[in-house]
Amino acid sequence: MNVADLKRRIFRSLQSAAFAGVLLSSSGSALAAGTAVGTTIQNTATVDFTLGGTPLTVSSNTTTIVVAERLDIVVTLQSGQVLVSANDVNQALLFTVTNTGNGTEVILLSMDSVIAGDQFDPTPAVPEIYFDTDGSGDLSPGDVAYNPGVNDPNLVADASVDILIVNDIPGAVVNGDIGRSELTAAAATGTGVPGTVYAGQGDGGTDAVVGATGAEAAQVGEYLVSDILINVVKAQLVSDPFGGTEPIPGATISYTITVDVASVGVATASVLRDPIPNFSTFVPGSITLNGVPITDAIDADAGEFDTSAVPTVVVRLGDLTLADGIQTVVFEVRID
Amino acid sequence: MKILMSVVFLGLSFSAIAQEEGSLDIRTVVQKEEVVVNENGESENRLVAVESVVPGERVFYTITFTNVGDEPAENIVITNPISAELSYVEGSAFGPGMDVEFSVDGGATFADAADLTVTVDGETRAAGPDDFTHIRWVMQGELNSGSQGTARFAAVLN
Repeated sequence: MNVADLKRRIFRSLQSAAFAGVLLSSSGSALAAGTAVGTTIQNTATVDFTLGGTPLTVSSNTTTIVVAERLDIVVTLQSGQVLVSANDVNQALLFTVTNTGNGTEVILLSMDSVIAGDQFDPTPAVPEIYFDTDGSGDLSPGDVAYNPGVNDPNLVADASVDILIVNDIPGAVVNGDIGRSELTAAAATGTGVPGTVYAGQGDGGTDAVVGATGAEAAQVGEYLVSDILINVVKAQLVSDPFGGTEPIPGATISYTITVDVASVGVATASVLRDPIPNFSTFVPGSITLNGVPITDAIDADAGEFDTSAVPTVVVRLGDLTLADGIQTVVFEVRID
Repeated sequence: MKILMSVVFLGLSFSAIAQEEGSLDIRTVVQKEEVVVNENGESENRLVAVESVVPGERVFYTITFTNVGDEPAENIVITNPISAELSYVEGSAFGPGMDVEFSVDGGATFADAADLTVTVDGETRAAGPDDFTHIRWVMQGELNSGSQGTARFAAVLN
């Protein structure tokens, strides 16, 4: 008797597809920072005229203005809704922080997981903010933790950095619950209402002036509890040519796989794939689903014996819920 | 380099002569708009001196010219370049008694804004405020001794 209990998270591939879509759309929205801080702009007017028929030209004084530093920050949420289960740990939300000002700015990061209007508060992990150092879009071993005051990002004009905020999911959540978490990025020079001046604190001793963003930005990401628990149990029955149960060459193994949803929710488009073990051969015409035969051919019925790669039994179970009960797939192989 | 220097020198000598013979005094100031609350508690906009600006901020250039000589000055044309870092604010140029014209070719030629075109990548289109390189004000009449004229425009820092 070979028994395996599997708990699977569904929709993972959907989630990563949504993430890729977000990335693509954001790449087209570059924000120009404007004229570089410290640039001087001079202006001289001239007047041409005639005096008693004589043409003359006079130049005015020259005015000079210096381009000060505009403090502007934009935060963009890159993650789609992140699907989680109760008690999951280190669940990351991806953001991009961009310096849309015209100078170089140190940016301070903070997060808040106590956001009004959701069903649960995610628990910030320790550490709670990471740089997406490896660019994977998810928390990976190579990602460097953010340490306030030690490795605050220092962004030149128009530069951006990908940031992950990381939470654990509490145990007391149910399917459909939403929990929100917010990343805030603020200019280290200062924030405030647009137009606020930090005299002499801009690049090169220019004034720093708070831009339209308030030199601070925040975005909220979302976790959705989507905890579909699926039990998959595989049993095998060996029949040897001598009426016994020894797994010897020529013996037949009948595999019985049962699948059932053990929680609320829908396991969308569930597909069972079971590769044929080494040193054995699939018995043609042996697949059944809930006692109903399924042909080996790739056709309109619910399954097939797919030999395009590793020989695999494939059975499409469709959208499964708790109410569908146990689905039973049976097929046979012969030991070579 | 030599040519440039001699032109500058010529310009200087002209103005020196002009001063001696009596001529125009021209001054320019750059300002920005500030909202202030007056003594009646009403907010009003006023122009204040500016030394530094940030991208997106609007500045106002005001040119005043005075005939400090004894004779009337004729054929007065004020010319002001628009710095590459600035974008002209559409409709902002004005000057009492003067026609406003623009250049899109570095000041070589001028015309009414509506008559100017630019050609980019082989396609010709109507010129927009971002295309203007110079503004000039052409005075219709003469400026008598002791009289003053004003020209102004606004621009936004890119």
